[in-house]
Amino acid sequence: MAYTLVVKSLLLAVLILIPFLTNSYFAYQLGLYLLYGMVGQGIALCWGKGGFLPLGQALFFGIGAYISGTILQDSVGWLSVISALILSILIPAFIAGLVGLLVFDRQIGSGPYFSLITLALSLLGYQLANSQVWITGGFNGLTGIGGLPGIDSYGSLYFFIVGALAISTFVLVYLIRTPFGQLLEAVRENEERTQFLGINTSLVKAAAFAISGAIAGLAGAFFAPHQGIVTPQVVGFILSAELVIWAAVGGRFGFIGPIVGAVLIGFLASGLRDSFAYWEVGVALVFILVVLRMPGGISGMVTSLLRRFNIDILSNNVSSRSQIIPKKNNLRKPVLKFDNVSVKVGNVSILDNLSFTIENPGVHCLIGPNGAGKTSALNALTGKLDYNTGNVYWSGKSLKGIRPFRTPKIGIGRKLQVPSIFSNLTVRQNIDIAIWVNRLNIKHLFSLRPYSWGTNLLKDLEESFPFLNKTDVHAGTLSVGQRQMLDFAMTVLAEPDLILLDEPCAGLSKYETEKMILAISKLAKTSKATFIIVEHDMHVVELLSDNVFVMHQGKLLAQGSLEEIRANKEVQVVYAGGSK
Amino acid sequence: MKRRDFIKSSLTAVAATAAFQTVAGKAMAGSVLKVGVMIPLSGPAGLFGPASKNVSQMAAEDINAAGGILGRQIEIIFGDAGLPPAEAAQTALRLWRGEGCEAFIGMHDSAVRGALINVFKEQVPYVYCPNYEGGECANGVYYVGETPAQSVVPTMTWLANEKNCKKFYLIGNDYNWPRDTNAIAKNTIADIGGEVVGEEYMPFTVDNFDSSLAKIKDSGADMVLITLVGGASVSFNRAFASFGLADNVMRLGTLIDENTLMGIGAENSKNVFSAASYFANIETADAKAFAESYSAKFGSKAALLNGLSTSCYDGLTALDAIAERAGGLSVKEMDSVAEGTAFGSPRGDAVMKNRHLTLDIYLAEAKGTDFKIVKTFSKQEPGNFCKA
Amino acid sequence: MEALITFVLNFIYSSATLALIVLGLAMVFGLLGVMNMAHGEFVMLGAYSAYVVQSLGLNFIWAIPISILVCVVVGWLMEWTIIRHLYNRPFDTLLATWGVAILIRKGIEAIFSRDYKSVDQVMPGTIDILGITYPSYRLILIAIIIFLFVTLFAWYQKSKTGLRIRAMVQNPGLASAVGIDTSRLSTVTFIIGVSFAGLAGVLLAPLVRVEPYIGLDYLLSSFFILIVGGLGTLEGLLIGSAVIGGSDALISTIFDKTAGYLSVLLLSILFLWLRPDGIYSRR
Repeated sequence: MAYTLVVKSLLLAVLILIPFLTNSYFAYQLGLYLLYGMVGQGIALCWGKGGFLPLGQALFFGIGAYISGTILQDSVGWLSVISALILSILIPAFIAGLVGLLVFDRQIGSGPYFSLITLALSLLGYQLANSQVWITGGFNGLTGIGGLPGIDSYGSLYFFIVGALAISTFVLVYLIRTPFGQLLEAVRENEERTQFLGINTSLVKAAAFAISGAIAGLAGAFFAPHQGIVTPQVVGFILSAELVIWAAVGGRFGFIGPIVGAVLIGFLASGLRDSFAYWEVGVALVFILVVLRMPGGISGMVTSLLRRFNIDILSNNVSSRSQIIPKKNNLRKPVLKFDNVSVKVGNVSILDNLSFTIENPGVHCLIGPNGAGKTSALNALTGKLDYNTGNVYWSGKSLKGIRPFRTPKIGIGRKLQVPSIFSNLTVRQNIDIAIWVNRLNIKHLFSLRPYSWGTNLLKDLEESFPFLNKTDVHAGTLSVGQRQMLDFAMTVLAEPDLILLDEPCAGLSKYETEKMILAISKLAKTSKATFIIVEHDMHVVELLSDNVFVMHQGKLLAQGSLEEIRANKEVQVVYAGGSK
Repeated sequence: MKRRDFIKSSLTAVAATAAFQTVAGKAMAGSVLKVGVMIPLSGPAGLFGPASKNVSQMAAEDINAAGGILGRQIEIIFGDAGLPPAEAAQTALRLWRGEGCEAFIGMHDSAVRGALINVFKEQVPYVYCPNYEGGECANGVYYVGETPAQSVVPTMTWLANEKNCKKFYLIGNDYNWPRDTNAIAKNTIADIGGEVVGEEYMPFTVDNFDSSLAKIKDSGADMVLITLVGGASVSFNRAFASFGLADNVMRLGTLIDENTLMGIGAENSKNVFSAASYFANIETADAKAFAESYSAKFGSKAALLNGLSTSCYDGLTALDAIAERAGGLSVKEMDSVAEGTAFGSPRGDAVMKNRHLTLDIYLAEAKGTDFKIVKTFSKQEPGNFCKA
Repeated sequence: MEALITFVLNFIYSSATLALIVLGLAMVFGLLGVMNMAHGEFVMLGAYSAYVVQSLGLNFIWAIPISILVCVVVGWLMEWTIIRHLYNRPFDTLLATWGVAILIRKGIEAIFSRDYKSVDQVMPGTIDILGITYPSYRLILIAIIIFLFVTLFAWYQKSKTGLRIRAMVQNPGLASAVGIDTSRLSTVTFIIGVSFAGLAGVLLAPLVRVEPYIGLDYLLSSFFILIVGGLGTLEGLLIGSAVIGGSDALISTIFDKTAGYLSVLLLSILFLWLRPDGIYSRR
């Protein structure tokens, strides 16, 4: 952190000195590219950090520019400047947030739909800007925009732009260090898992998008007095695409990269295009090269170069877990009831009138041949799978239509079959996110305090799995077994009342399996939680379980202790005739 | 409110600039005069870039051969104006403050013009070359292109009479120039007792004109006034002819240039008429000499001459004429003598009036992919957009 | 009545040509997951092939093999150098192909300049049909496109390659396990996709303008169709073309072209938002 602070302060100092070192038109030109760079920072927040690509960011930039242009056109005075700034930030932020909410709420993942919607919105904005002449001045633009009072657009306005840039950089760098930023990165890494940790991921993404809209609007607010004219191109698709290109070339994983990209390509293009008709070819080639060979862009290259010299500018200080959060003690009454639940997809019956009840805490195992519907039953329970008929009750309440991210709130924790962790985050960051489940509120979201949280359960888990102490190791570099253990630890750290473990021992060595079984049974004894474990390995079942459910073809086939199950004729038939 | 401070600081800025210019002026007397020429080198209008470049260079050579401007040889520095206004303004600023250009010529759209006027802030003379919608009168800006009042009014009146057209359909792209042009055209149509049977504006992105063509056919229009630009005009005219409308319906445009006609193609160009202050094959001695020296200099395969590119020649000539008359390049001096400045050009003789030009307007009919002048309307007045 | 017949024919024409343009893009996007932003540039290459053939005085029919040759070469180069390194990285293909689009545009500009080129119709003039006068070349084009789609549909359902492609789309891992060379199949699919774009360019060239920058127009309308119609099925593609072409034509006729264009944009946004699963209906 210290390094990046030094680097950023140095860059800021250089930016402030530039008008004194060069001529004023150079600084004026630089001002425009810095504004584009600011918009790029918002793109980096969404794309680099959040993993979803906005393709119409010029829309927010342009709305900001039109708002501030309209206000500054009419009057000159600091009051109108301030109102212009506020409106140019809030309105784009509101629009972006609303679009984000509406879109993300309907679809998980970061597929191209969102990108295409933003692209279409930008096209829509361009058309409206052209045809709604009474607001925008049409193609010829909104003209006669005054500068800021007493501020020379060619001179001191530059310092205001640098100031705005410094603020946006500071805000973004801080944001990304807060739990909000870490959750945003978690969403990029694994949105499904983040939801099962109780995070409304669509809200997180929409908030990030709104912030990117606010920054773009702020940049637009300065664009209007800087240029004195606002034309439809500023909301258009071409500028949107260019902004993405600049962010990608400069580096989309940080907040300095987009600025470097915008400034560098800006000056390169302005230097080349009057003398070299095919300058775009150069830009296109660089761009293709970046996509193919260096996804981190220029700043990514610099970072890895510095790392070669053992200068790691990205390492974060790890705060100690000084604040131990007490264990919660009001466990819900663990009554889980599947009542005639059926799921049909086309002609295939996935769950077929599945009914069973669990009333006692402890470890319950769910077994059955492949395709029996074990994972589907858990999906139905956690809102991943809609059921056509029947109902699932937990603590007396129906779970029909529940959204996955709500399940931790009602005391349900789930580990997916494939170890599902945040590979590009460190072990420490993974655990932090897990500890925050159900404990983080809006106030904490933007403070650094939650990083000092710890629990006694975490200490226990660290004893069972010592690698959890390797805080700065990236989770993706762990072995399969360690990933399963990390995933398990993350699931139970929220201290759920109902813990769903889907094949927790898959891919573990014999030694690791023993450790895992030990940890589970230890936790089962101390926490009084209810476990449902989907398992294939009868050895594991034997060691863990007091109650076994057997599923076959979407139905419950048998229930009882392992002895009883072994003696059951029907079960024998299924297993003999089924797999292995 | 610190209004006084504001005024003070603006005054200081003006004084500083004035000082800068006097110093620069003294230092550069007798030296090369740099003229920034803003033409579209990229973007949709980039098509006109090569010819504009050639023509500007020809103009510079001709001016220099005749002794330059105010005794100084001129050097042209090109800037790309085919960009969004913000970027074009950056380029102009670089040419002005960085390269030291002392005057500007611009052949680009109105949005870029707005941005450049804002950059120059009446501190450097700027000649705007292409035809445009009219209505402007900024200090230090001279408009050498024709306005709709000059190009549409006489040609439409004459053609409607000649071809006996009564029903008019107006179609253009959705922006200022077509709307302003049509506003004037509608007055003309009313004056000649015609009827507007349709008026339509297309987004720039539109490439399919079927619904408009159906409406045109349905409306029984016998003349269509086309203010579509560039590619849209090409697509529209091709589809128009393919529906068999060309035989009976006249098409008149004020921005159908030689390139657009090439794109429309010989088989689709029947009854296409174009009105402008210049066509490559005007039969006057000046125009012929100009066209000949152009092809002698740049070869027969050089970019086509048209009204837009040739306007750059007039732009530089106008700058020369006004500056010589004023005896200097300051906006104040030039503004005070601009009125009545006369000069000759490939387009014919021109006289400055209200910062615009009184010009000859030609009506040309497409014959295959060539234009043939059918009527010349001499000395068309530009109208007055300057407030008293 | 006449107006109605004209409207219907225009609707069929615009849906058919849109379907033709989008066919290649749908193949590449639907089968390979590649968002080819240079798709419109291949349409442009096709149109220039037609121009070259005509200016050399050759029979127009030569434009078809020449355009396919050009598209195969350019498409193969593109797949080999860029696309194959980016499968399963949809954003990256989108960005890289945007760069390629610029390269192709600039290449054509270097060879042919920015000037508009005009390609003559094979069958100029109009025919009187159902009581109205309609351009003859358009009717021929509609017939060709219908024939093409029927053939393609039959081929995809019946042929072995069609089966392989379907296998690859449904389960790439399994497909390569049972001996289908998926990487080669991907290359072939990509090349066929861009060749269809080139073919569309040839067929449309006599009716549209020809210049280096026309690609973008085709790209945007193609995306809207993909959005509405969904990927992976020819039926979806035809429906998408009909919905986009139809709503544009209808709204433009009732109101004006700006309203038509806005309706297409809004429709696309609504589909993206409310029915995104409809897009990947097969996945």
